[in-house]
Amino acid sequence: MLQFAIKRLLLLVPVFLAVSLVIFLIIHLVPGDPLDHIIQVGSSPEQQAQMIARYGLDQPLIAQYLRWLGKVVTGDLGDAIVLRQPVAKLIAENLPHSLALGGLAFLFSTIIGITVGVLAASFRDSLFDRAVMGLILLGSTLPSFWLGLLMILMFAVQFEWFPVSGARSWEALVLPVLTIGIGGTALIARVTRAAMIETANRDFVRVLYAKGLPFWRIQLRHVLQHALMPVATILGLRIGWILGGAVTVEFVFARPGLGSLLITALGQRDYPLVQGCLLMLAIAVMLGTLLGDLVQAAMDPRLREVMGTR
Amino acid sequence: MTKMKVRGAALALALAGTAISGALSAVVAQEATFVLTARWVGAPTYNPIKATKLNTATTLIYDRLVLQDADQSFHGQLATSWETSADGMQWTFKLKPGVKFHNGEPFNAKTIEWWVPQFKGTENAFTVEAIERVEVVDDLTVRFHMKNPDPNLLSNLASSFMCIPEPKSYQALGDKFGVSEAVGTGPYKLQQFTVGQQTVLVRNDDYAWASDLSKNQGPAKFKKLTFREIAEESTAYLELKTGGADLIVAVPTDFLPRMQADKSIKVVTIPGTELVYMPINTSVEPFTDIKVREATAFAVNQAEIMKSLYGGLGEVADTFLISSLQESKVDPKYKISYDPERSKRLFAEAGWKPGPNGIRVKDGKPLQVKFWAQNGTEFKRLAEVLQAQLKAVGMQADITILDSSTINSQYRKKTDHQLAVRAYLWTNADIVDWFFSAKRLGYPNVSMFNDPEAEKLNDIAMNKSRNWDERVVNFTKYHEYVLSQYPFAPIYQPVQLFAHGKRVTMPEKIRGSGLSSQSIVDIEPVN
Repeated sequence: MLQFAIKRLLLLVPVFLAVSLVIFLIIHLVPGDPLDHIIQVGSSPEQQAQMIARYGLDQPLIAQYLRWLGKVVTGDLGDAIVLRQPVAKLIAENLPHSLALGGLAFLFSTIIGITVGVLAASFRDSLFDRAVMGLILLGSTLPSFWLGLLMILMFAVQFEWFPVSGARSWEALVLPVLTIGIGGTALIARVTRAAMIETANRDFVRVLYAKGLPFWRIQLRHVLQHALMPVATILGLRIGWILGGAVTVEFVFARPGLGSLLITALGQRDYPLVQGCLLMLAIAVMLGTLLGDLVQAAMDPRLREVMGTR
Repeated sequence: MTKMKVRGAALALALAGTAISGALSAVVAQEATFVLTARWVGAPTYNPIKATKLNTATTLIYDRLVLQDADQSFHGQLATSWETSADGMQWTFKLKPGVKFHNGEPFNAKTIEWWVPQFKGTENAFTVEAIERVEVVDDLTVRFHMKNPDPNLLSNLASSFMCIPEPKSYQALGDKFGVSEAVGTGPYKLQQFTVGQQTVLVRNDDYAWASDLSKNQGPAKFKKLTFREIAEESTAYLELKTGGADLIVAVPTDFLPRMQADKSIKVVTIPGTELVYMPINTSVEPFTDIKVREATAFAVNQAEIMKSLYGGLGEVADTFLISSLQESKVDPKYKISYDPERSKRLFAEAGWKPGPNGIRVKDGKPLQVKFWAQNGTEFKRLAEVLQAQLKAVGMQADITILDSSTINSQYRKKTDHQLAVRAYLWTNADIVDWFFSAKRLGYPNVSMFNDPEAEKLNDIAMNKSRNWDERVVNFTKYHEYVLSQYPFAPIYQPVQLFAHGKRVTMPEKIRGSGLSSQSIVDIEPVN
């Protein structure tokens, strides 16, 4: 198992390099640059040229990339051009907010998703099954930006249960958590439901029924245990995506976090900051996927065999 | 007996409740939350010397030597008076006595002697470029010896980039100054600052040196002010509506009808410092022909745009400068206002004859141009209206929408745009230099305007004016010449919109060109 984990971890190195290149190219090939945000009305063309040189923006793209990568592998994400602070510091200040928001949303969607999935599978094709799955699907298809505003209008403006925005109290977390959480719930519920149904048709389950075990005991102790394997992979993927999902939600709810930081940085084309934020999100996705794989491998030895290690 | 006890207890509870809620409202009334919307979001530091972007809170942490009112008059803040020598080579400022920084350090002539050289090598160096050296005459008198006359000096000194920080903490904190701490002489002290999120200010109880622009000459009315940065405008509006915020600095025009209909919100408007215009690329066909440029400029119906897009609020623009500037008072013959007949006549004179579909044709080519606008509903709608107005005189303008960063970098590449819609926020005539000087072709000189006569007049206005009056005359001439060459069409001057809730009272008149310290110290809690 350890070998498997090490192998998977090593695989991340080329992925990381590829991701870093893609991130760098994406932001540099998008038209626009940070100059508008650092050049003052009244400054002379010479002063402007100096500034461009100071940030290395006059260098060829490949040189800029290599310089950035060289710094990144030593743990230095550089300084933000417009925000003028170390990128690592800005990320460190904002990441905990996103992790709290993402973590709670993850818990929410996992608990609700699995519960709904199990119930839907247990009452397969019933009115409950259709209604709940339909409702959740609807929630997940709404863009989070729109869903967020809808939540604000309903629960903050109409009922005045929660604050409209900000991060000053725990209450302010509820609406953003729900907004992100609802999106993931549908996926988890669907995968759980499908896996439950598939497992329920297997021979060993029939044997359990034949032995006369109660329905819910079979469902929860035996079927669910097997069904959780594909769910684990999905959950691993969700860890990363949920941070990405926080981007627009943080913006709508005016919350601090990686998402708000990324949107500000994108608007100002603050290259080092955009690169730093995207890299963090990419790493989160990579680690989430890895975690999902590891959990799955721990649960199912056959998988480790397929991967060539035991 | 029991009943009595219960009643007594209930009465006591009610009284306590009243007392508590009274105390609570008193506490609440001492605090206010202001929202900074998209345009002001993301100021990275409160270091005025090194910043390229500052927000409203800056002017509350620091004071400036002078302030400028909306009518462009100057008023002393940390300076009590000033005089300039006849040749414009010396400026002498008398400073206010008894002024102290937040950390107790005194403010005096030595502060200014230290302060001016700090700009060297920064993005804001141009503001003090004309100052050769600073002489300390006595503790409260300071003299600037100039390299060359700079009649614009007072205007520079009134800018928020010329807020004065405390020297010792500035030196000690280095790059952290303005981020973790900021020490000034202003009516509020910085308590906490999270970039892009919020700034918390607490009152400077010793403050007693407001300018004559403020009614309140003592400490500010609110003990604590929180500036929240909310880029999403719907969220900002909903915060105000639900009482989560007390005031929004710069409300987008789109929200005006909704806010006006809302009884819990009061909208305040003051004249704007912004001008919306349509640059015309003078370096590409057909606009190399001055007649075509003139015809295009006179095809724009400013009044109709103001009425249909901006609800009639604001002012139409007929020159390149906001109307509160003296240099905007040009000879009426240079003003550009809607005149479709003149437009059509000029097109015909330039050889562009009406063709099929109403689009003009010359040498078999239709009058078809590329029209750029940046995204955002306002510019998009404006571009569409202009497109229709141009079509009415026989020009087909094809709109391309780009985001703000993209559009500027495309201009910088001197690409082949022909028309565009743009806006600037500025309160000084030197903006004519910024947008039409041949030194800045592509961007910001989007019109690619390169004219020897204009360069000559620019040089006189920028470098040869010895005092303010001369500068006004020279800039007016330069402005008139640029107008006569039609490198743009002026459109509209928006108003500045503020909105506040029921817990605060705004002063009757907002002083200065926008909402800043001179008026904020006059904002009162409603009790």
